[in-house]
Amino acid sequence: MKQFEFDNEMNEFEPESFENAELESADFERADPENIQFEAELTLAMGHVDPPSGFADRVLAQAAVPQQPMSAKVLMMPRRVQTWVGSAVAAALLIGAFGIQQQHERRQREEAAREQQQQLELALQIAGETLANVRAQVQDAGIRLGD
Amino acid sequence: MAIADGEFRRLIDTHQRMVFSIALRVTGDHPTAEEVAQDVFLSLHRNAEKLAGEDHIRYWLRRVAVHRATDAIRRRSVRPESGAEEWSEEQSIRDGAASGNYAIAARLDELLRGLPEALRVPVVLRYQEEMMPEEIAAMLGQPVATVKSHLQRALKLLRRKASVTMKEYVREAI
Repeated sequence: MKQFEFDNEMNEFEPESFENAELESADFERADPENIQFEAELTLAMGHVDPPSGFADRVLAQAAVPQQPMSAKVLMMPRRVQTWVGSAVAAALLIGAFGIQQQHERRQREEAAREQQQQLELALQIAGETLANVRAQVQDAGIRLGD
Repeated sequence: MAIADGEFRRLIDTHQRMVFSIALRVTGDHPTAEEVAQDVFLSLHRNAEKLAGEDHIRYWLRRVAVHRATDAIRRRSVRPESGAEEWSEEQSIRDGAASGNYAIAARLDELLRGLPEALRVPVVLRYQEEMMPEEIAAMLGQPVATVKSHLQRALKLLRRKASVTMKEYVREAI
């Protein structure tokens, strides 16, 4: 029995379902007379309290301080946040540098391939011309080449 | 500057007790409450030009104070709530409730600190600020039924807690 009551108390701390809320709000509307005195005392006890002396002056002094620029705000960030921001910036720089290097290497490879192709085409052209000259000389000599 | 110094001073003088009281009763801690209250007024200083009229300013200050105070206790990540075993003193509860004299003013802070955050905020707005459940619901962005349910639960818990602590209080006084 005691355990059951304890569990009930624990349930007070759990978020209630909407259905429950509807049900209990209906009870609230009925204004339990036992609560009336307690509510009155609560309202009486919960008056406004004075802030510590000099509160207004401290607020005014803070308000008079000009707003910090962005760089100062970054420096004022908690150390853990600074570490995160620093790491993120470093990672971004690293990724950027890696990307630029990759692009540079690809461009170099493409240029080398283009040069090699040009050299090959030149070699073929020279070989073709040489062959044509040889054929002409052979024909001039009256030598008949087989088909 | 968004607001003249004289006008800002007047707004602080007018509303500082309300803002500080909300912050204090939600956070349950004086230094944190002062920090929250200062933050609320500095925020008012930055946003005053967007607020029109005393009612709007009062509503805005209440709302910002509640949110900043809630944020503060979440940042602190230690909710000053009492253990569930404190609520299970059935006999004491019955005795205290029967007496009908709670005299809660003496130990109000302790009673409020014993409430979970979700219940504490509506209680502060209802009984300190004397807002209607509908107004609280609008401010907190919750259904009215939920606010009423929270208030009812809070009252139930406070009554039990009050009867227990007042017995202790009387014993200590003797």
